[in-house]
Amino acid sequence: MRKPEDAADQTARDHRMLSRMLADADELCRSGDALLVGQYDHLRGRIAALIEVTMPLCEEEAA
Amino acid sequence: MTASAHKTGTKTTTNPFVDSARLAQLGALSRVELEALQLRKLRRQLARLNTTSSYYRERMRQGGIDPEKLGSLDEFRARFPLSSKADFLADQAAHPPFGSRLGIARQDVALVNMTSGTSGQGQEIYGRSQHDVHMQGYLHALPWFLAGLRPGDVAVNCVPAGGVTTGGWGPGEGLRIVGATAFHVGGTLSTDAKIDLMQRVGEVHFIYASTNYLHTLTETMLRRGLEPKRAFPMLRTLFIAAEGYPLEWAERIEALWGCRLQEGYGSTQCAGFGASTCADGVFGKNGGRGLMHIFEWETLFEVVHPETHQPVASGEVGEMVVTNLSIEGSPTIRFRTGDAARFLSWRDAASGRAWNAIECGTIGRFDDMLKIRGNNVWPSAIDAAVFSFGEVSEYAGRVYTNCDGRTEIEVRIALSDAATAFDGATQSRLIERIRATIKERTNVWMTLSVCARNELPEFNYKARRWKDERQQGYRL
Repeated sequence: MRKPEDAADQTARDHRMLSRMLADADELCRSGDALLVGQYDHLRGRIAALIEVTMPLCEEEAA
Repeated sequence: MTASAHKTGTKTTTNPFVDSARLAQLGALSRVELEALQLRKLRRQLARLNTTSSYYRERMRQGGIDPEKLGSLDEFRARFPLSSKADFLADQAAHPPFGSRLGIARQDVALVNMTSGTSGQGQEIYGRSQHDVHMQGYLHALPWFLAGLRPGDVAVNCVPAGGVTTGGWGPGEGLRIVGATAFHVGGTLSTDAKIDLMQRVGEVHFIYASTNYLHTLTETMLRRGLEPKRAFPMLRTLFIAAEGYPLEWAERIEALWGCRLQEGYGSTQCAGFGASTCADGVFGKNGGRGLMHIFEWETLFEVVHPETHQPVASGEVGEMVVTNLSIEGSPTIRFRTGDAARFLSWRDAASGRAWNAIECGTIGRFDDMLKIRGNNVWPSAIDAAVFSFGEVSEYAGRVYTNCDGRTEIEVRIALSDAATAFDGATQSRLIERIRATIKERTNVWMTLSVCARNELPEFNYKARRWKDERQQGYRL
């Protein structure tokens, strides 16, 4: 079985990557293209949920 | 093949805690760490709702709760007022359609879900954001991953898809999130057509169905002379939800299908599944009932006495009260589900993880309870008694008042094809044994009769086998 500390490192890395993606998705959502903005919002929602799913489990990791 | 996969005969078994680093991490949390995570997520949820939901802002005011200063989960449980279905319906009537509990902008509602309305009180409405649509998928994917579903697997979803229910949308998202190839056959194909399609597909790894529908599917296959484990040798998991069952039935199902039976507890108020079985399936280590382990980092579960609202002790039955920690649109905060479950603390669950648990196969509804001759009788208890006999195909019950004003209970039983061929004396003995088993489990003698299978309905999702017609007996 994988060690929990290794898992924490991996999830923290994924979480940081997703947080950067969310910032880009936020910018896409401000594009103003009425056809695309709903799709960008869909994408943003998926990223936001994945940030939730990969949320650091301890305060120290979150800091 | 995933990291943990190994072959047993023609099947591959998996270990979710090896295949997912994230699950390994969640499984390794101590109870103190898990509760600290819950408190952190709860404070964030309440702080958000304090600015976005006048319904919950008022409840926090009533409880004297400042989200930033919330010191403990105990403080939350002691001070945050409970909400009921009636509270939500009143809020919706005052602030249509979503109520002031919505918590997100109306234009951010990407999916509308409603409860089924089977209680007769009305339907709760939930507005979910894009984020929540994924979370609902995740809260289906998570128990199914634990049950062995993996990317590339073929899954058959027998629960009717689409519509307005969470159960109509969550499974589709969940199967996509896992990366499975899904056939959503519920509600669109007859049982025979489903079996024909599954045979054409051949390599089926996972079936999701209500308890009742899995019974119907199995019964139909046997009637057609098909042995499930031979027809679907690659099947790894049968996953059921929504209804209780006797262990004898579960044993027969596993033997007939040749794979593990797994179960989840879910609801619209949980935005998907809140708990599910793990490696042992629906059986405990000693062969008794198994446990559904609660995903406590996503949903805060309390199991309370329905009248005092105090937490029940480990091993006792109580009403489940749920709080969404990760849902942003129409979240439930200390919502009384009306669902009854036997609670097991994480220590008694002894799974090696710090997750509390509820017992498999015995989830009931407090509002389904029938008061019969002074006894509290749950339909799930009668289901357990009747379906502990493999000779029973289906049944229906009716409580009514006879012309003398006395309460009577009629149970009509349809027997399996094999049992229909029994001679009269054998059938009579069987019916008497079923009657005695019902009495043993409910303390009520009921009148049983045999009827043809086609006189009773088939249920695609949740079975409604009981009618209480006592009020009609008093009509003039």
